[in-house]
Amino acid sequence: MDTFLATLKALIDNLGATVVLPVIIFFVALILGAKPGRAFRSGVTIGIAFIGINLVIGLMWTTLTEVGQAMVRNTGLQRAVVDVGWPSAAAIAFATRVGLWVIPIAIVVNLVLLFVRFTKTLNIDIWNFWHFAFIGSLVAIVSKSVGMGLVAAAVAAAWALFLADWTAKAIQGFYKVPGISIPHLTTAPGVPFAIAVNWVIEKIPGVNKVEADPDHIQKRFGVFGDPVVLGLVIGLVLGILAFYNAGSFTAVLVNVLKTAMNLAAVMLLLPRMVQILMEGLIPVSEAAREFMKRRATGRDIYIGLDSAILIGHPAAISTALLLVPIAILLSLILPGNQVILFADLAVIPFVVAGFAPIMHGNIFRMVIAGIIELGIGFYIATAMAPTFTLAAGEAGFAIPEGASQITSIADGFLWPPFVFMLLSSWVGVALLGVVVLVLMFLFNRNPTQWERLAGAPEELLQPGAAD
Amino acid sequence: MAQSKRILVACGTAIATSTVVAIAIEEALKARGIDVVTRQCKAAEVKSLAPGYDLIVTTTPVPKDIGIPVIQTLAFLTGIGKEAVIEDIVKALQA
Repeated sequence: MDTFLATLKALIDNLGATVVLPVIIFFVALILGAKPGRAFRSGVTIGIAFIGINLVIGLMWTTLTEVGQAMVRNTGLQRAVVDVGWPSAAAIAFATRVGLWVIPIAIVVNLVLLFVRFTKTLNIDIWNFWHFAFIGSLVAIVSKSVGMGLVAAAVAAAWALFLADWTAKAIQGFYKVPGISIPHLTTAPGVPFAIAVNWVIEKIPGVNKVEADPDHIQKRFGVFGDPVVLGLVIGLVLGILAFYNAGSFTAVLVNVLKTAMNLAAVMLLLPRMVQILMEGLIPVSEAAREFMKRRATGRDIYIGLDSAILIGHPAAISTALLLVPIAILLSLILPGNQVILFADLAVIPFVVAGFAPIMHGNIFRMVIAGIIELGIGFYIATAMAPTFTLAAGEAGFAIPEGASQITSIADGFLWPPFVFMLLSSWVGVALLGVVVLVLMFLFNRNPTQWERLAGAPEELLQPGAAD
Repeated sequence: MAQSKRILVACGTAIATSTVVAIAIEEALKARGIDVVTRQCKAAEVKSLAPGYDLIVTTTPVPKDIGIPVIQTLAFLTGIGKEAVIEDIVKALQA
């Protein structure tokens, strides 16, 4: 028996995520009630997606590492952490030892909290369970305990539910999505920033009247919303900084153009690979949705969805377009920052979407809140990068020779993973668990006050108003 | 055989929810013997990509003045009212 277990462990350790995750996904899908054929295809597709993501991350990581090293030699501009984007973060998170188990864990947490009426949200956005896995993976690495990482992932899932409940009416009112809440740990962490910034701006005469026109911004700054062009331009600029003294004119030109094309390719290919991962997860997420709904019937609940459904809104798009150049500027001027922004310039709409209800879609205010959240984010990301990079190694992603450290705006820039990482002990994780339960309790005792704070419109706060 | 109908599926990222919607539409319409081609895009790209498509299905707000029918729905994500939306899509394609 011992030899059998030892063999099994050795097998799992050596096979890596591209094999282990498909097997686990297959069984999870079966248990949730998917048909065997679909479950099998789902598992295989996810394994393929991981191989694809690994290839693209390899290209990006190698290119940016070379560029980063040459840039330090040429300009002394030290930026040791590269932004590999949320698709990479998600793939890494799902492939760690914590990530392998996050789907069943988050489902159980959700059903229990629904059952005891501590939450109203049924989180069917299985894909975004990666945020909980990400937090759990960081905790597991810092504490060297997979068990603690799993508990941290469970606590993170509860936090997402609380934030979703709290902001539900605000989101429903502003974005016109009745019955929906957003348990998304890239969007929800912005709400406290928006509350604070809005409060301050309201107090400043003159500034509290400033508005900006979303259509105009979309026309003028639309180019910042095109990832391929963005990748090409960033590649050109970085390439010139890194290789302007690489020898003959031909050598310089070749290196610069290669860098530009490689980075443009990453911007197009990385999301395509993640699309495959999504496709593979569909049977699991459908099965999970039906499984959870059967166990939560007859209740007045919110359906928890991806904030991707919000960010077509002009307020979110325009704010993000303005924040792209600002964020690049911040990355250059902030003292002590080590992060070079790249792949996650496309994720900024997710970060700002939660601001809109509080600020009534006022883009000027949303940009200010965004600057503050991202500005702090650079320091969080710099501090979290070593652990983030270790997680990538643990998840089986090939780390190039002499590689830079990595991060991503989602969720490497955000406070929830950072708080969890700082409190990576049993006491710390338990504390975060108790705090979220207390918050849920307080919220449910007097939801109206909380909902108003998060920007819910008055007509949804009336007693008996439709949920 | 008539040419396949072309549907543009939009969401915030062109990755996450639009993948779910595109695959659900393809499966549902195939089951009814209707051949469709879908393409995913971001909400901001809808206006420039729309010409040449028969229908736009989106999970997030898109501009209204595009000149082809737009169906904004969360039914493929929540599972609630999915059949009704599929009927709407079929009708829109036949129109």
